[in-house]
Amino acid sequence: MSTELDNLAALAHTPLFGILLTLASYRFALWVYGKSNSLPVFHPFLVASIPVIIVLPLVGVNYEEYRDQTRLIAFLLGPATVALAWPLYRQLHAVRSVLTPIVVATLIGAAISAAIAVGLAWWLGAPAEVVGSLAPKSITTPIAVEVVKSTGGYVSLAAGAVAITGIVGALTAGPIFRLLKVNDQRIKGFALGLVAHAIGTARAFEYGEKAGAFAGLALGLCGLVTAMALPWIWPWVAQWLGQ
Amino acid sequence: MIDGLLILLFFQFLGEILIRLTGIPLPASVVGMVLLLVALLLNTPFTQRVAPAAGALIKHISLLIFPLGVGIVLQWHRYEDYALALAVAVVIGTILSMLLVTLMLKKLMGKPGDPHEH
Repeated sequence: MSTELDNLAALAHTPLFGILLTLASYRFALWVYGKSNSLPVFHPFLVASIPVIIVLPLVGVNYEEYRDQTRLIAFLLGPATVALAWPLYRQLHAVRSVLTPIVVATLIGAAISAAIAVGLAWWLGAPAEVVGSLAPKSITTPIAVEVVKSTGGYVSLAAGAVAITGIVGALTAGPIFRLLKVNDQRIKGFALGLVAHAIGTARAFEYGEKAGAFAGLALGLCGLVTAMALPWIWPWVAQWLGQ
Repeated sequence: MIDGLLILLFFQFLGEILIRLTGIPLPASVVGMVLLLVALLLNTPFTQRVAPAAGALIKHISLLIFPLGVGIVLQWHRYEDYALALAVAVVIGTILSMLLVTLMLKKLMGKPGDPHEH
């Protein structure tokens, strides 16, 4: 009797269990997101995490083991990052005529977002690994979790910081645009994509097709610029912050 | 779909080769993304077939990411001492960035209806 129960309990320690739990949680989160009319606070990233966080401790699986179980899913992040070239290519095509101001804006914007996050965390006394995890917080998650390895940060923290950045950015964009009297669709879209990556881009499409296109472009360029620059700049920044 | 996956893995592999040969400190998948973008811009044959696979992966990117994010809660002991710094940097930092970036864009991209508008 008890051996059969033990056999059953051992199932929780297989990749099948981890992947099934992950997929089921995601499916549930998609349903919730749809029901909420795509409200940013119900973003699948947050909602899908809840069943996993509840179930894993109940069945005695720790986080390291869960990551091991779901390695197949994590592997797909690589090709998913390469895939970002496709929307970037489509958007570059659409906005060729304003490319120069856009590239300049991306360089400045990416630097502003990273510097503010790093500066605030450092000023409040966070250790180097935590500060390093926040540097890529405004870029799209697949790139951020890769780049964070070069800044010595935690992958989990980076993924969470990116998601919350997206949600906060998407929620506060409306009031900020009203405060600054922004009516230009291009600026709304570009700001949302630059600061709040994919979640901001989804929000930008609610302003219209044009805002959405600019958001998608900003997301791609900002991720690209940050990924190319941060691994070179970071050792220098870390040394400077350490003094 | 298979063509698309083949293209994505092939470019990721190219990225991997390139960083091993040159030792540049960039993620292989980011290098693969740049190479694929260049290939697309040069109208390289077959590269447009990446669309279905690329679309599917990007649409469900949250599925690929959230298993990483649950680590924040499950390994909270690592972060609890810096909870305030984290909350301020992420929430206030994002609002500040949004304000400054929007102001900068207003300066750079000008008023609606300028000559660039089409």
